[in-house]
Amino acid sequence: MAGSNELKEYFSNCIEQNMDSLYALALRLTRNPADAEDLVADSVVKAWSAVNTLNDRNRFRPWIFRILHNRFISDYRKKSVRPVETTYDELSTGDDGQQVATLLIEQPNEFLNWWANPEHEFTNNLLGEDIMKAIESLPEMFRITVLLINVEGLSYDETAEVLEISPGTVRSRMNRGRTLLQKALWHHAQDAGLITNEIMMECKA
Amino acid sequence: MTNESDKPEVDEIDCLEAFDHLYAYLNDEITNKVDLANIEHHLSHCKSCYSRAQMERKINQRMKESGKSDTPESLQKRLRIVIDEL
Repeated sequence: MAGSNELKEYFSNCIEQNMDSLYALALRLTRNPADAEDLVADSVVKAWSAVNTLNDRNRFRPWIFRILHNRFISDYRKKSVRPVETTYDELSTGDDGQQVATLLIEQPNEFLNWWANPEHEFTNNLLGEDIMKAIESLPEMFRITVLLINVEGLSYDETAEVLEISPGTVRSRMNRGRTLLQKALWHHAQDAGLITNEIMMECKA
Repeated sequence: MTNESDKPEVDEIDCLEAFDHLYAYLNDEITNKVDLANIEHHLSHCKSCYSRAQMERKINQRMKESGKSDTPESLQKRLRIVIDEL
């Protein structure tokens, strides 16, 4: 079947339709435009050579994202540019299934107050690029989960297929990733001066 | 028309439990009717969780808009060559 004109046309159309998504994901993984281009091109070649493993044409997106992700891990991860140092103490303890309550322990009071009452003006002032910057500071396993679901619109099942983990692990990585994202946004907003003294006073109240 | 008897019974859940379900709820991943009814009930009467859900929706929307990248022309050309040579 592989090599037939019909299959090649189908494959070509799918690549055309998903090109922007593949590049966007590659760019967020490698953080380097040249590496992202190489990663997409390599993945397309790899995907064609493995096209017989695509059992369900309705699952093209998770199938090719999985190939790209595996390619990234095997050939690109080591040289990917690390973001400005952001540390998460939470990562040193527990695993994916760690309870949210545990995540929230030992956070600064201001953050917890903001967490509980997020109706603050700075939320409205956060731009898309602020949010993407915060996502880029997340550890890879959470970053890719959030990107696949919230940017590419994959379901938890499809994301599980891409990352070769269970849907339950996707769910806990999503919860944990978004919790870490909130923390990163809080720090980013502080650095960017979006949290005014007034807001800080409110949070301390 | 929804029959009252079709509605699942609602359990009161606390904020931590609601938060545990929040992202699955926002991502349309809750298929269990009872879990769905519980979180919707919680969000309908907890101002704090409702606010958080609204904020997360805003973040989702901005993420979706900003996370896209147009493929550079150089890569578009390269992929066309790759596909032509398959």
